[in-house]
Amino acid sequence: MSRDMPSPEAERLHERFNAVWGNPTGWRALTVVNHTTVGLRFLVTGALFFLFGGLLAMLLRTQLALPGRDFMGPDLYNQVFTMHGTVMMFLFAVPMMEGLAVYLIPKMIGARDLVFPRLSALGYFCYLFGGLILVASLFLDIAPKAGWFMYTPLSSAAHTPGPNSDFWLLGITFVEISAVSAGVELVVSILRTRTRGMTLDRMPLYAWYILVMAMMIVVGFPPLILGSILLELERAAGLPFFEVARGGDPLLWQHLFWLFGHPEVYIIFLPAAGIVSTLLPVFAQRPIVGYRWVVLGVLSTGFISFGLWVHHMFTVGIPQLAQAFFSAASMLVAIPTGVQIFAWLATLWLGRPVYHVPMLWLVGFLVIFVAGGLTGVMLALVPFDWQVHDTHFVVAHMHYVLVGGMFFPLMAGLYYWLPHFSGRMPSVRLGRWGFWLVFVGFNLTFLVMHWTGLLGMPRRIYTYPTGLGWDWPNLISSIGSFVMAIGIATVLLDIVLHFRFGLPAKENPWHADTLEWATSLPPTSYNFASLPEVRGRHPLWDDPGLPQSIAHGEHALAVIDHGRRETWGSDPLTGQTREIIHLPGNSWLPVIAAALIAGVCLSLLTRAYGLAALFALTSLGVLLRWSWENGAHPKAAPDAKTQPGDPPLHSRTCDGPGLWGMAVTLLADGALYLSLLFGWFYLWTVAPDWQVPERAGFDQRLLLASAVLLAVATFWQRRLLVRLRQGDARGLAGGLAGVAGLGLLHAVLLLWALLGGELAPRQTAHDAVIAVVLGYSLVHGLLAAVLSALQGWRVRCGYVGVETPYEPLVVEQLWYYNLGVLWIGYFALVLFPPTWGAA
Amino acid sequence: MAREVTLLWWAMLGFASLVLLGVTALWLYAMHRAPRETSAEQARRINRRWIVGGGLLLPGLSILLLLAFGIPAGHRLLPLPLAEPPLRIEVTGHQWWWEVRYPDGVVTANQLHIPAGRPVDLAVSSADVIHSFWVPRLGGKLDMIPGRRHVLRLQADRPGTYRGQCAEFCGSQHAHMAIDVVAHDEPAFQAWMAARRELRFSPPPGEAGAVFEQRCGRCHRVAGVSEGGRAPDLTDVGSRPSLGAGTLDNRPGALRRWLREHQRLKPGNGMPAHDDVTPETLDRIADWLETLAP
Repeated sequence: MSRDMPSPEAERLHERFNAVWGNPTGWRALTVVNHTTVGLRFLVTGALFFLFGGLLAMLLRTQLALPGRDFMGPDLYNQVFTMHGTVMMFLFAVPMMEGLAVYLIPKMIGARDLVFPRLSALGYFCYLFGGLILVASLFLDIAPKAGWFMYTPLSSAAHTPGPNSDFWLLGITFVEISAVSAGVELVVSILRTRTRGMTLDRMPLYAWYILVMAMMIVVGFPPLILGSILLELERAAGLPFFEVARGGDPLLWQHLFWLFGHPEVYIIFLPAAGIVSTLLPVFAQRPIVGYRWVVLGVLSTGFISFGLWVHHMFTVGIPQLAQAFFSAASMLVAIPTGVQIFAWLATLWLGRPVYHVPMLWLVGFLVIFVAGGLTGVMLALVPFDWQVHDTHFVVAHMHYVLVGGMFFPLMAGLYYWLPHFSGRMPSVRLGRWGFWLVFVGFNLTFLVMHWTGLLGMPRRIYTYPTGLGWDWPNLISSIGSFVMAIGIATVLLDIVLHFRFGLPAKENPWHADTLEWATSLPPTSYNFASLPEVRGRHPLWDDPGLPQSIAHGEHALAVIDHGRRETWGSDPLTGQTREIIHLPGNSWLPVIAAALIAGVCLSLLTRAYGLAALFALTSLGVLLRWSWENGAHPKAAPDAKTQPGDPPLHSRTCDGPGLWGMAVTLLADGALYLSLLFGWFYLWTVAPDWQVPERAGFDQRLLLASAVLLAVATFWQRRLLVRLRQGDARGLAGGLAGVAGLGLLHAVLLLWALLGGELAPRQTAHDAVIAVVLGYSLVHGLLAAVLSALQGWRVRCGYVGVETPYEPLVVEQLWYYNLGVLWIGYFALVLFPPTWGAA
Repeated sequence: MAREVTLLWWAMLGFASLVLLGVTALWLYAMHRAPRETSAEQARRINRRWIVGGGLLLPGLSILLLLAFGIPAGHRLLPLPLAEPPLRIEVTGHQWWWEVRYPDGVVTANQLHIPAGRPVDLAVSSADVIHSFWVPRLGGKLDMIPGRRHVLRLQADRPGTYRGQCAEFCGSQHAHMAIDVVAHDEPAFQAWMAARRELRFSPPPGEAGAVFEQRCGRCHRVAGVSEGGRAPDLTDVGSRPSLGAGTLDNRPGALRRWLREHQRLKPGNGMPAHDDVTPETLDRIADWLETLAP
């Protein structure tokens, strides 16, 4: 522990803070919600999954080293290459980047924790359990084997019977709970918990990158989640969304998958570029050149990345005009990337670069990533793509982009923040060896692979005949991959050894400018004993004494006698403080909820649907209990007293982070619903054998009545809450109960429409989509009713009232959302079809 | 037509290499050059020059250039209407073989014979999962999607044999789904077609004939012998360059080996193992199959 000569005064402060914020040990370590611990858990788990995925890659290269090998049979090979892609994308790249952000973001923006700490813990456990379920399938020889892209009809029940595909669909959806929850949490934390004075314009660039990444996760993952739900419904219940004969279309899956899949590439790349933008200025010892250019570049990358998914589908026979559009859009992304690269270059040019191991990885990143980007531009050219699509050329391109664009910056970042994790410095010599082995091994493997692809070798073949010119390049690639593996082992050894032999790190060892280096090394669980005000983009360069003054409690929120975990709630634009956010402490609820959701996942896998329903209801119960321990609840903040001059607690206001959390969650939910409507309209226009049944299927008057009822309930609740804001809580409990009752009634009507008519969701894709649209509103309606009833009860318990009006306002948003969704659904299902000539 | 793409590739490779070398060299130079004082005004100028020049103009102009060449090239590869409609051949992907149908009823499998020197339209589709038709030396690939029939236009400039292979992952034996494409000069192509139009055979004598009829014939068609439609048509199997969609070269005796070991050579393929048929009968069937050629 290298707390730099703490004064007795700082030491006393630390002890008092630690009593409130400290982590328990033993079994109770499972209850920890602190972002530093959760972030490190993400990183370590991600690293282990990376090693597993790497091992799979070694198996693949062993098989392909020579022509005609039978080291693995086709069935095992297909499982292994599917799992390699799946593990690397979903269990390594995204969680690793999220883990680093979970660890760093609060520290960089001067907060004590993320804004929803229990959600961080839930996300971690969902990731861990989901990952273990997926990996276990490989050891049971029932792993997914239709490729990480799961194209139907290959992945459908007809062509892949057995649970293989189910492991992917259910396991990945489970893991994605963690991705989306981290996305929501990072967005709200960055916007609402920055320390005093940190305007958006003064935010560290890394926070900008993570903000954009998190928004992309929130909007980008739902299409895949929807696709997975639909495909699982098709496999398990026979609802034919993707089956041509019953009016579905396999291309719908491809659209949903790549609607997620392409943004995914930038979800991985942007945080890595954020690492580069953080490290380079530190090693160049000057502020980054063109801060606003870079921010603009990051934002436009985020936007453009949603407009080019079709470039994965140039060979499926889509119209030429669409191809030209997506081709141009795909190339366009080179511009914001070019801006960033030249901003980095200019920073180096104007700075005084210092050499350390992280810099090596940054140079490696530049070379490999630029090469990958250039082949990417080539691939965006349609006639060239027709030639090399689905060959080893693309495998090479993709590894240049992902390993160059994600792994190399990640390694630079790990070396850079190692002193932060451990309080010790990494070694230089072993680090250099590791880098060069990885760099040389990587290029040996993948540079040659471009050539293999140009020679005509398709991807995903488990064997190939000799005499086609593929023998030598494959052997070279395999040798290179083993060199790379040795390099990674060296890096690993270096990191392990440094925990034992590394020299203790000095305060701010790299002379960095961002606030995460103002904590002690390694950091305490509360990060800062007092929260500083910042006046520029480089707080530590402006005031190198910050670590000391923070530890001495010379800044804000240095009082801890109230026993609450507190951090600033600030204005999203100006960074002015608006309220004090009090955060929940350690809790068993996240790990229990995650275990129950794992139960849902496992029982769906074994097709024990009764058990799955039981697990689902129990986990809902646990989550409701979780929401109960908020606001004025004795376990949260029963006493609302704050220091004179400080703003009120967030639960005593009408604008806490929960509102933002709900809004961002609904954004994700809305993206899912929009994807569903996209599917509906897509099938209407494009499905080769679209069938509209003669009968209406469901009683449209029921749907209308239900929508009207929901409108009445929503506006009744709105009146109640307007009065509450004005300080009048008379009849609130009864009113909320009434609203919940109406909500329940509307859900019953929906259920009646769904089951009472002649809907035949197993017979046509048409009816299957209608069933899902109605089911979606039904589930949301029930949830809203339960939540409002619960708020009514909280009024009775005294947790909600004139002084604490906050929580019903959070729930209110869900009602507006449901109302919008149900009416849009009504238009799409009832009013739209006649315009297309349907009866 | 593949020639144009090849040219495009070499041009792009040259340009991309220049950019990569340039950026790397600049970067290394920026890191190693002696640090010097720059005024705020100078810094602003460098800032503008790098970001606008390198970040906006360089990629922007490159993209315009690329699209200017690429979009017309892509357009020329499309199956646009021609004055004289080209020969249209239906190719259907199956797990894991290719069904090939010519307009006048000639059917074959795992081989495609085309005339050289004129365009040919391949109408591709799939009977099960998504496959992708691709002959690297003749041109781009096109996915074969159940429920849809897309048209790919190819032209072989010279007679010769070209290897094609399924490019979309289609399950366990995706690796063994190759197709032999043979381009003939015009007279040879007409002769090839003519020889197959009226091809008829009679079953092999004795037990081999009975076994073929009861088992093989249920899935395989041999003109004049059986009408099975689930597996490759065998009417001219003796004349095909390879067996099992490129698994084995069709040398003398190869069919014997294929019938005995096909589940080892191509595990999981749709044909049942023939464990309960005596090796002698299998050999006799194989020998007869070898004779199925014009």
